[in-house]
Amino acid sequence: MSDIFFRELDLPTPDVNLGIGSGTHGEQTAGAMVGLEREWTAGPPALVVLYGDVNSTLAASLVAAKLQIPSAHVEAGLRSFDRSMPEEINRIVSDLLAELLFTTSPEATGHLRAMGVPTERIHFVGNPMIDTLMTQRARFDPAPERERLGLPATYGVVTLHRPSNVDDIESARAVVGALGALAARLPLVIPLHPRGAARLAEAGLHDGERLRIVEPLGYVAFLSLVAGARLVLTDSGGIQEETTMLDVPCLTMRPNTERPITISHGTNRLVRPDEVAAAADEILAGPERPEGPRPPLWDGHAGERIADVVVVWLGARRAPGAPATSPA
Amino acid sequence: MRIATIVGTRPQLIKAAALQPDLRALHDETFIDTGQHWDDALAGVFFRDLGLVRPDLTLDGGGGTAAEQTGRIMVGLEAALRAIVPDIVLVFGDTNSTLAAALVAARLGAPIAHVEAGLRSFDRRMPEEVNRIVTDHLARWAFAPTEAAVANLAAEGLTDGVHLVGDVMRDLAARTVEAVRDEAALADALAGVPGGPWRTGAFLFATIHRAENRSPAAIGAWLALLDAVARPDRPILLALHPGTRAVLDATGLSLGPDVVVTEPLGYRASLAAQLHAAAVLTDSGGIQREAAWLGTPCLVLRSSTEWVETLAGDGATSVLVGLDAVAATAALARLAPAERSIDDARARAATRMIETDGATAAIARLLA
Repeated sequence: MSDIFFRELDLPTPDVNLGIGSGTHGEQTAGAMVGLEREWTAGPPALVVLYGDVNSTLAASLVAAKLQIPSAHVEAGLRSFDRSMPEEINRIVSDLLAELLFTTSPEATGHLRAMGVPTERIHFVGNPMIDTLMTQRARFDPAPERERLGLPATYGVVTLHRPSNVDDIESARAVVGALGALAARLPLVIPLHPRGAARLAEAGLHDGERLRIVEPLGYVAFLSLVAGARLVLTDSGGIQEETTMLDVPCLTMRPNTERPITISHGTNRLVRPDEVAAAADEILAGPERPEGPRPPLWDGHAGERIADVVVVWLGARRAPGAPATSPA
Repeated sequence: MRIATIVGTRPQLIKAAALQPDLRALHDETFIDTGQHWDDALAGVFFRDLGLVRPDLTLDGGGGTAAEQTGRIMVGLEAALRAIVPDIVLVFGDTNSTLAAALVAARLGAPIAHVEAGLRSFDRRMPEEVNRIVTDHLARWAFAPTEAAVANLAAEGLTDGVHLVGDVMRDLAARTVEAVRDEAALADALAGVPGGPWRTGAFLFATIHRAENRSPAAIGAWLALLDAVARPDRPILLALHPGTRAVLDATGLSLGPDVVVTEPLGYRASLAAQLHAAAVLTDSGGIQREAAWLGTPCLVLRSSTEWVETLAGDGATSVLVGLDAVAATAALARLAPAERSIDDARARAATRMIETDGATAAIARLLA
């Protein structure tokens, strides 16, 4: 899975692979903390750049703070205001400890201001994930993927991985019911990790003619399928943003989102499992590629803006006689 | 409520002891020690002194780097809290145990109560500052000891669940001070300590434990400071943790002739030493406050403090001197002149009552 991502996105192989792997939250975070501390004690970087809200983000920001290494948080300020999401904890801590905070939306900047982060540390730069999407977009071609998977011209894509949807049997049953109702309206394809598959299978989900369960896909293959889909049903964060940029209607099966700009300036809508069928009917009766406003600065240049800020910041730190930076 | 109380260091044991009677009157407490940092040799006197119950569970959290220690405590607490399934996880202060417990509890969805919330030195080079900030933002109940702490939390957008309850350490000091006001109680408290007899007003009491005061340069600076203020007729009793002592020994630097080193004192002995000393020199926030409540002049051996109240006002008897020997000598001459220090200390011991904050009762009630 990782290999194909590195290849497709032209990412260089990591200089260091800590090989943390899976485990409980505590084990995983602890392992990453110890590994990163060892690396950064041996060779402290001038700046640590962190993305998003996973356990590695949390571990890295804690270790950097303790070693007095400044950190920059990309995708800062996102809030679902739902602390039962593990990601919410990771976001809050990483934002609290960052020296530079890069936001993807004006709301995110507002959230950071509300927790007292000084304005000069916050930079609204747009969305680097959209940079990658725009760079790769010419390669998105639904036809070969559809053919390979035996899908008709009109289909939907489903992704589900969130513990709140797949981990307990009650929720999983409700989700499987929603998928059945949706599959009755249009054929679906679900790339699924074996972990999530087990619980959903127990709740009655089976591979079938109108509901194709497939292995997880690489970046280009997956976004090719999304680009050609009539609608997407998801509980992921990033896919809410990608469908907004691809003008594909998106139903997000969660009670909240940390990315509300995909609703106000995009194609996203939050649904409960029992609302999926009615919401799908509305989408199917509407335009295939609804037009609407795009989130500001989602223009493919977020990475350049981040790099500009970092270069200036590093220069100011290196300048002789420069004032001490705000405490890190 | 089923409350899991997490401690890992000496100051946290003391805070837990202050809170425990009120907490147990209303709640079902599971008492967990992360094993972060306290000497087993001292533990006996500690528990006896404080009437603290033995921990229900002790983890192996001692030693290692910050990440190793925090990580090990997280893994241990994750398993423990999964088994206990507490309604509330109660944490104190700003140590790695506090941070680890807050992260694990937040992740498990257990509401966190943070005692001593809202303190800020505004110096993020201090590991404690990082621990405080993170814990405050993950807490459901933030029990602030002071108005300034409440204001610090508000500046970070935290107002829900913030309660100004006062200082649990003040409650404990109020309950204990009566027992240490006689000079005989001082002699009793310092019975095993070399260099005596220790007489009211005729010694200085010092403690040093912070990470920033353990570098060779810092050690050289505070040794010089202590030498500058110690005199044969007013020696210094310096309580050092064995870890700090080992670092000191490794530098090859030696103590002046009028500086006597002892192991950290138990709570009651420490309070006695502070009440009867001519002045206190410390880098501990806890001792800084206790000295202020007791009215004992206090030189704070740090460049910043999160306990700004002790420095404020005309009658304030605390002053930040960092590791500056000149500043320390001047502050001491002003706050505890040698010709007055014995009389001042006797007067203090005779009259000093500490008013309780009612913090421990308020916390127990608010969690019900």
